[in-house]
Amino acid sequence: MPSSKFNLFGYNSTMPLTADQEKLLKQDIKSKYFLQGPAGSGKTRAGTHWLMKLIQAGIPPHQILIFTPQRTLSLAYQNALYQEEVQAPGPVNSLTLGGLARRMVDLFWPLVGVDAGFGAPNKAPNFLTLETAQYYMAHLVQPLIEEKGLFDSLTINRNRIYAQILDNLNKAAVVGFPYEEIGGRLKSAWVGDIEQLHIYDDVQFCADQFRSFCLENNLLDFSLQVEVFLKYLWTSPMCRAYLSQSYRHLIVDNIEEDTPVTHDILKEWLPDFESALIIFDQDAGYRSFLGADVESARSLKDSCDKIINFDKNLVSGDGIRQVTLGINNAIARLKGTPQPNPEPSFEAVRTAIVSPAENPKYFPGMVAWVADQIANLISNDVPPGEIVVLAPFMPDVLRFTLTNRLDELGIPNRSHRPSRSLRDEPATQTMLTLAQIAFQSWETLPERINLAYALVQAIDGLDLVRAQLLTAYAYKKSESDFPLQPFEAIPPRVRDRVTFRVGERYDHLRNWLEKVNEQAELPLDFFLNKLFGEVLSQPGYGFHDQLDSGNTVAMLIESIQKFRWAFGEQLISDEISIGKEYIQMVNEGVIAAQYVQSWETADEDAVLLSPAYTFLISNRPVDVQFWLDVGSPSWYQRLNQPLTHPYVLSRTWEHGEFWDSEDELAASYQTLQRLSIGLLNRCRKKVYLGMSDLDVRGYENRGLLIRIVQNILQHARRETS
Amino acid sequence: MKLPEDFDFTQSNLKDYLDCPYRFYLKYILHTKWPALLVDDALVFEERSKAGARFHRLIQQYLLGIPQSRLDAIAEIDPNPDLIKWWENFLENVPHLLEGQRYVETSLSTPMLNQRLVAKYDLVLVQDQSQLVIFDWKTSGKRQRKEWLLDRVQTRLYRYILARAGGSLTGTAEISPQQITMNYWFAPHPEAPISLPYNQKAFQADQTFFENCIQEILDRNEENFFRTDDERKCRYCLYRSHCDRGVNAGDLQGFDAFELDAEDFEFDLDFDQIQEIEF
Repeated sequence: MPSSKFNLFGYNSTMPLTADQEKLLKQDIKSKYFLQGPAGSGKTRAGTHWLMKLIQAGIPPHQILIFTPQRTLSLAYQNALYQEEVQAPGPVNSLTLGGLARRMVDLFWPLVGVDAGFGAPNKAPNFLTLETAQYYMAHLVQPLIEEKGLFDSLTINRNRIYAQILDNLNKAAVVGFPYEEIGGRLKSAWVGDIEQLHIYDDVQFCADQFRSFCLENNLLDFSLQVEVFLKYLWTSPMCRAYLSQSYRHLIVDNIEEDTPVTHDILKEWLPDFESALIIFDQDAGYRSFLGADVESARSLKDSCDKIINFDKNLVSGDGIRQVTLGINNAIARLKGTPQPNPEPSFEAVRTAIVSPAENPKYFPGMVAWVADQIANLISNDVPPGEIVVLAPFMPDVLRFTLTNRLDELGIPNRSHRPSRSLRDEPATQTMLTLAQIAFQSWETLPERINLAYALVQAIDGLDLVRAQLLTAYAYKKSESDFPLQPFEAIPPRVRDRVTFRVGERYDHLRNWLEKVNEQAELPLDFFLNKLFGEVLSQPGYGFHDQLDSGNTVAMLIESIQKFRWAFGEQLISDEISIGKEYIQMVNEGVIAAQYVQSWETADEDAVLLSPAYTFLISNRPVDVQFWLDVGSPSWYQRLNQPLTHPYVLSRTWEHGEFWDSEDELAASYQTLQRLSIGLLNRCRKKVYLGMSDLDVRGYENRGLLIRIVQNILQHARRETS
Repeated sequence: MKLPEDFDFTQSNLKDYLDCPYRFYLKYILHTKWPALLVDDALVFEERSKAGARFHRLIQQYLLGIPQSRLDAIAEIDPNPDLIKWWENFLENVPHLLEGQRYVETSLSTPMLNQRLVAKYDLVLVQDQSQLVIFDWKTSGKRQRKEWLLDRVQTRLYRYILARAGGSLTGTAEISPQQITMNYWFAPHPEAPISLPYNQKAFQADQTFFENCIQEILDRNEENFFRTDDERKCRYCLYRSHCDRGVNAGDLQGFDAFELDAEDFEFDLDFDQIQEIEF
C-alpha cells in the first residue's frame, strides 16, 4: 500500500527533509510541541520522522500513542514502521476518541456498570454500531411516529429521522453537554415557525427514550460510550493510571478535525506524557458538521512547551497559489471585510483554472468534457494517479456515468471508498432468496421472478429463460408443503427443455433446502455459511471458483452475524426470528447493509473519483483536480437537517442566540473558503471546473463558487490591464 | 512473491502456510474470503470461542487490579457454565505465580528478511530484570504433552520474538534465550502450568526454521502455492469446496483450536464508521 508516491507525505528516509522539518527533528524528544502550518507544508511527514526518532532513541513502540480523529489518518504512521530500514520491536498504538472510549469501557466495565446505571451491570456490555443503533432507534421511534404522531409535520424519510436523533446524541457527547439539553438548545436558537419547536421537543423525547432503553438493556451506542468513558473512567484513578502507564509518548495529527471533548481529554492528559507532538492544520476544520472544533484544538498550544511553525505550502505551484489569494480576496469582498491580499496575476490564474469554452446544457455533456480533458492530460504524460475528480457529493448516477465514460476511453479509475448496498448484489440476492425458501415459517416466500434470478445465479448452466420455465412448474407458494417441487414432478417436455443435468443440480439444491426447512431453525448466518460451502460453491453451482461472489457473500454473512450478536437475546425473548427481522430491516432501509469495497488494494495509478471532503481528509496532494458541478450550492450549503444543527450544538455557540439568515450566510462563506482553499492546498498545477447549465437533478444552478471564480478572473484581468 | 506491504507474520498465518501453502495464498495474498463453515457445529464452536475471549478478558481485568469481587459477580452469571469453573481454577492456581512486572496483552515484533514477525502475548512477566516468563491461557482442548507443545508454531514464535525484542520490556539491549520460559496454563485443568524453558540451541533452530519458512514464501511465485497433499487438513479449511476437497466441515471434536487467536472472535467494531455517514 505505501507506494513511493504515498511516501512523499509519509515516512521516506531517502527524500531530503525541508529546513522546517529538520528544525523540528532537532528538538529534544523529552518535550511537548505544537506544530502548526497550512496543508501541504510537510507536517505529517515530519510527524512520521518524529515517530522514527522516538523509536531510534530506544522508546518501546508500545509506549507510543498515535491519536487521530479518524483511524485512516494514522496509516502514514503505521506504514512508516514497515519501511525496511526501520527495526521497530513492535507496533505502535493508534486510537481515536471512539476507539479509546470503547476500549476503556470494555476493559473497565466491571467498574462502571453499576455506577452508570446499566440494567444488568454484571452482564457484558453490548456495543452498537451505527447500523445497530439505528435499528434500535427505529424500534423505539417508529411506534411513536405511527401511534402518537411525533414528527407529523415533517416529510422526510424515517431513516433520516433516526439518524439525526442519533447524530444529536453524538454531538452532545463529543461537544460535552448533557443530552437532556439537545431540544432546549435547538429551540433557543430557532427563529421561525412554531411547529419546528414541537419537532425539537419530539427530538428530545426520542433521545430520552433511546438513552433509557440503552441503559436498561446494556446497549452502548457511540454517544453513551463516550459519556460513560468521560464520566466514570476518565475520572477513575485506575483507568487513568492504566492509560498513563501504557502510553508515554504522544503524536496527535489533524487535531483541528477532532472534537472539543477530545481536546479536553488531551489537555488533561498531556502532563502525563514524557513527550508529545501535536499537529494542527491551519485553515482546516472540515469536519465541523461532525463536531470538529478548530478553536478548542488551537487552545492546546497553551499546554505545549514550544510552538513550531511550518509556513510554506510545498505542494501548490504559483498559479494555484494565485488562485488561493484570489479566493480569499473574493470572499473578503463578499463579506465586506478588507481584502487580505494583492490581486493575483490574471495570466497565472487563467493558466491554473481551466473551464469549457461554453458550458454544456446537461450533466452528461459535463461528464463527456471532463473525460475528454482527462484523456488529453494522460496523453500528455500526466499519470492517472495524479488526477482526481471531485464533487461535494458523488451521487451514484454521476459516478456511474463518469466511470463508464472513463472505461470506454480505457482510462484506469477508482472511487474512493465506494460503498455499495449488499442487497443490490446478485450474489446476496440469491442467498437471501434461497433463505426465504428454506425458512418457510417466515411466511415471506419470494416472488417467482426473484426465485428464477436466484436459480440462474445458483445453478451452473441455467439461463433465465429456462429458470423461468422451471419456476413456473416447480415453484408453488403453499403454506403447508415445501414450495419447491422435485424435478421429476414437472412435465417431461419441460424437463427436456431444462435439461437433466440442470435438473440434477436443481434437485440436489432443492433437497438440501427442504432438509433445512424440516430442521430446527439455524441462525441465518450459519445457514448461509452451509448453503455456500455445501452447495453453491461446489462444482456444478454458480459460486464455484467465483472468488468475488465469495467475498460478497462473506460480507453479507458478517453483517448478519453482527446483527445476531447485537440483538440475539432481545429478539429471542420477543420470539422474533432474527433472520427474518434482518431481511425485513434491510428491505426497509433501516439497515443499509453497506460494505466498503477494498480500496487498499486498488490500483494507485488510477484517476480517483471522490467526494470533496473525503479527499480533503485523505491528505493526498495531486497535480490536477476536476471540480464538478461548480454551480451547485452543495459546495457551501449545509445539508437539510431539520432535527439537528451543527453550529447551534457546537461549543462556540452562545446559548440564547438566534440562528438567522446572516449566520447562515456567514457559515456558507466560511465553508466555501475552507473547502476551496483546502482543495487548492492539495493541488500542484491545475483545477478544471466542470459545469452544466442544468445539474444532475435538472436544476439550474449559479451558485457562489462559480461566481467567486468569475469574480477572481474579472478582478485579476482589471488589475493586470 | 511480494507480500502486501503491511503484512505481518503471526502464529496463525504461519500455521496456515505450514498446513497448506495454497490456503496461505488465498487468505493473505488474494484476501479471499470464502464463507463456508470451519467446523460442523458452528454455534457451539462460536460459543466456546466467545467464552474463551471472555475468560481472557476477565484475567486481563484481574491483572489490571479490578476488584476480584466485581469479576466474581461477572463470572458467576456468565452464560457458559464452564467459565466460572475456569475462573475458580485460575484464582486457586495461578495468582501466586504472577510476581514481577506485568505486561498484559502486549505485542512485540522483530524483523526477519525485511519482513516482520509479530506476537501478541496474554502476559509477559519480567522477574528481577532478568527472567522473562510468558503466560498463555488456554480454554480449549486437553492438557497437552510438553513435546507436542514444543513443536507448536506458537511456542517457537513467541519465545523467539521475546528473545529478539524483549529488551524493550526490560530496558536492556540483549536478552539471552536462557532468560525465557513459556508457560501454558489450561483453564479446564487446574494443575500447574506446563513450563517450557528456552535455550540457545532452540533459539538457533527457531531462527533457521522461520528464516527458511519466510524465504520459501518469498521465493514462490503465484503458481507455486500448492495445495497440501495431506487432505485431512482440508476438513477444517474454509476453502475446501473451492479446491474440490470435500463438502461438509469437519467435526468439532477433532478440531485443533490451539493456534486460533482469541481476538478472532471478539466483536470488534469500527467506530470510525461514524465519520462515514451522510445524514
